[in-house]
Amino acid sequence: MKAERSEYRVVIVGAGVIGLYTAHHLARRGAGPILIVDRGFLSSGASGRNGGGVRQQWQTRATIRLARESVAAYRRFARDFGYNPWFRQSGYLFLAEDAAALERLGPVHELVRSEGLSSEWVDAAGVARHVPGIRPGAAVGGTYLGSDGTLYPFPVVWGLHDALRAAGVEILHGIEALGVERDGGRVRALQTSRGRIATPTVVNAAGGWSREFSERCGLAVANRATRHEILATEPLKPFLDPMVVRASDGLYFSQTMRGEIVGGLSPLADPTGSIAMSSSAGFLGRMARALVDLLPGLASVGVLRAWSGLYDDTPDGLPIVGEDPALSGFVHANGFGGHGMMLAPSSTERVARLVLGERIDLDPAEFGPGRFASTGSGRPTEALQLG
Amino acid sequence: MNRTPADPRTSGDDARPPPRPPGLPIGQRSIRYHRPRAPFCGIGYCTNCLVRTDARLNVRACREGYPVDGVRPTSHAWPSPRWDLFAVFDGLFPHGIDTLRGFRRPAILVRAYQRVVRRLAGYATPRVATARAPAPPTQRRACEVLVIGQGTAGRAVADELRRRGVDPVMTVDRDRRRSEGAASPDLGRATAVFLPPPDPAQPHPLRCYVARDVGGLVEIASRRVVVATGGYDASLLFAGNDRPGVVTADGAVSLASAGFSPFSHAIVFGDGPRARDVLARFPREIAAIVAPNEIGPDLVAIAADRGIPLYPRSLLVRAEGRRGVRRVALRARGGGPLMTLEADGVVLAHRRIPHPQLFFQCGARMRWDPRPGAYRPVTDPTGATTVPGVYAVGFARESAVPSDAEGGARRTAEAIAAGAPPPGPEPLAPAEPLDPPHPLLGYYRELLAELGGREKWIACPCEDVLLSEIVEANERGYRGIEVVKRYTGLGTGLCQGRYCLPDALLILSILEGRPPSRVGYITQRPPVVPTRLADLAGIPGPEEGPS
Ligand SMILES: Cc1cc2nc3c(=O)[nH]c(=O)nc-3n(C[C@H](O)[C@H](O)[C@H](O)COP(=O)(O)OP(=O)(O)OC[C@H]3O[C@@H](n4cnc5c(N)ncnc54)[C@H](O)[C@@H]3O)c2cc1C
Repeated sequence: MKAERSEYRVVIVGAGVIGLYTAHHLARRGAGPILIVDRGFLSSGASGRNGGGVRQQWQTRATIRLARESVAAYRRFARDFGYNPWFRQSGYLFLAEDAAALERLGPVHELVRSEGLSSEWVDAAGVARHVPGIRPGAAVGGTYLGSDGTLYPFPVVWGLHDALRAAGVEILHGIEALGVERDGGRVRALQTSRGRIATPTVVNAAGGWSREFSERCGLAVANRATRHEILATEPLKPFLDPMVVRASDGLYFSQTMRGEIVGGLSPLADPTGSIAMSSSAGFLGRMARALVDLLPGLASVGVLRAWSGLYDDTPDGLPIVGEDPALSGFVHANGFGGHGMMLAPSSTERVARLVLGERIDLDPAEFGPGRFASTGSGRPTEALQLG
Repeated sequence: MNRTPADPRTSGDDARPPPRPPGLPIGQRSIRYHRPRAPFCGIGYCTNCLVRTDARLNVRACREGYPVDGVRPTSHAWPSPRWDLFAVFDGLFPHGIDTLRGFRRPAILVRAYQRVVRRLAGYATPRVATARAPAPPTQRRACEVLVIGQGTAGRAVADELRRRGVDPVMTVDRDRRRSEGAASPDLGRATAVFLPPPDPAQPHPLRCYVARDVGGLVEIASRRVVVATGGYDASLLFAGNDRPGVVTADGAVSLASAGFSPFSHAIVFGDGPRARDVLARFPREIAAIVAPNEIGPDLVAIAADRGIPLYPRSLLVRAEGRRGVRRVALRARGGGPLMTLEADGVVLAHRRIPHPQLFFQCGARMRWDPRPGAYRPVTDPTGATTVPGVYAVGFARESAVPSDAEGGARRTAEAIAAGAPPPGPEPLAPAEPLDPPHPLLGYYRELLAELGGREKWIACPCEDVLLSEIVEANERGYRGIEVVKRYTGLGTGLCQGRYCLPDALLILSILEGRPPSRVGYITQRPPVVPTRLADLAGIPGPEEGPS
């Protein structure tokens, strides 16, 4: 496939949920022509490999607001796009294994409540009601927000894809972005494996490969990709409603509409820094131990498959939304870590507005790509790196 | 539970199976449409004979020896698999249920839809056990060579290695064809579920995880792994291909070995050695032979001898019957009227496929082998794959007559015993051959014309994915098996694509107008078969110190 035109208003690198949603917001605002290029197949990146968790419990006000807007967008998604993402608002339960962990949940709980969301404290008995079969003593309590939820990522991808094609956005797969052509300090064109495509604006929505692409464009960035593994069990009759998360080891799991338990935990530091999307025995062991320890009744449940994907991490755990300070026309929409699904609808709306030269309500000191250059203290960070 | 040894290779062919009632054992309902199902593959992969025991949620009756007493089928059907009220869904949705776009209107009902649909999904209910169950720690073994699979080729390799003094050689087999001596403590029936890429820093770079049927995982560290996992009989697409009574040749043999008479007048679909096996095993129960192409002279002679009618160059269009196969409809290739044959079974013996999972897992370079229409590892003449230390022998490596498999296996053993250094990462990779068309491609091209509108042809029985959904994905412009898998759910069920992928690759090849190898393949992830969390929990993690 080849691009239909030789010049576009915007070219987006990456057809994951971030790139697709960005194009959607641009197209709705009448910006065009728009092209999305992706070297893989549709949903080959993290957008087709995640746990589908959508939560609004965050450590900063701005992210709570972005997440709330996204929840509203996913509630409308079936109506707006004609695809059913099975967005189920059955809550997120943050587990605390001991009193200290419970205390650490306090500030988020307060902040979330102050934003008008009904986060609740739950005691051990409450945890047992939300997680039937939990081992007594495994948790002393936690916080619960019922309007958080889970969805299926795939219908989101297909829905956006359909809508974009209907809106005349070109989406080309099997094309690799190799760099940009500059005109002084400005983007003039995107260089691809199929040649040059003229454009004044390139959006880097390359997910776990955003650093690679930025570097190809001669830009220094703070993103770092890490491999996260995840597994799914045999389908079981429903017994678990909320997404269950634990900050101490990054454990998260939920029971999907199909009945499978799907989840993972934070990876151990990998000295090789490999970002091959492979599976490891070590993960299977750790995850199985964590699950069986928490829910002994799962011992006899079979694991169907494991897979892995990339988190595009940033030093402060917050995404990067903004134009690169060293290259105008080069817009970052990356660094979403384990939260790209839940932040996509709202944060990409800001990306689109930025591309169109409008003012946005995200503080560059909090979300801008230049924020890592200044070592100023007191910048907000997001330590909750959870699905 | 009433266990009966089911495996002919353990018990020997003369061990008499217990008498069983005629017909098919164990009823089961399919996951989405609650269609009646009965044993299909007979070798522990498909979803059609799931039962629960006290210790495990979903086990395959075929591997438990088709127990009859005290068996609880999965809790999926209500009130029973035989009379399942949910079976109305099959009739209510003659064109299938669209979960991608359905159940979203009116908005006020969305929550209710979610609750109902979720209730209906899922097989078993986990027991609420709040006590910490003791997880069996992963046992560790080390050996020089691990041989996975003890069929003709695997046995030949193990014997030859031992004869040449290689020590210790360990063997594992899913069906426990042979238990070994002191050098290889008997693991019982055990399945190699994960073979990660080698870690060259270790004295034993290869580490294979093996799940024992009795529970517990064994981590076998070795310098070489010989994969001799053989093959299995593939599925076939036609209307009603999921009806009770449609079995693979493996399934028919498995049922007969357990003492069942699964059919009295079945048709065999196939024209090769596997069809001959079926005729030998069922001397009186075969009513006709149907084949996609011409039928070879030796099969013609056997059939003539027994007065079995032959239907060469025929499409198997549909199997009819309410609870089981009663009739099958055929059409001569190239057009012609629909013919109906009375039959109470269909035995699929047309295509044997190698198991590619372990090769993919360890990162071996694979090639599309057009003869079975499957992926096999690229090997050098000794069977060495592109992964240092990993060898392929027997059917896992090439389709050949068994004596060749033995010869090839001995050459592999010789190379290993001679201490041939494991070849580098890219030994003698042959140039990618151009795909000669698979013999079933033309067949499926004609058969697709029979798919009327959006009739329910089951392309992926584990997940009840329909052929029409694959066609729809294609019409929407989705190309390649990876996207189609994610769009339809194809291959994400309990068999992890074993029975749907081989045919789906051919169908997509036709729809996309490119060779099957360009359609791609689904990344093969661990575990090879569902493995209990309790067993996996025993794997020591890197956080527990170096191993
Ligand atoms: C295991 C796991 C669990 C997760 N769980 C959750 C969760 O519960 N909730 C949540 O909100 N988020 C979760 N996430 C995170 C979420 O999936 C991601 O943040 C999100 O999908 C990122 O979307 P994206 O579009 O930025 O990236 P991707 O979906 O990865 O898309 C990037 C695309 O860019 C393409 N690309 C890269 N480089 C180039 C190039 N040079 N040229 C052309 N194309 C290129 C790639 O092919 C890819 O398709 C999880 C992630 C993982 C891995």
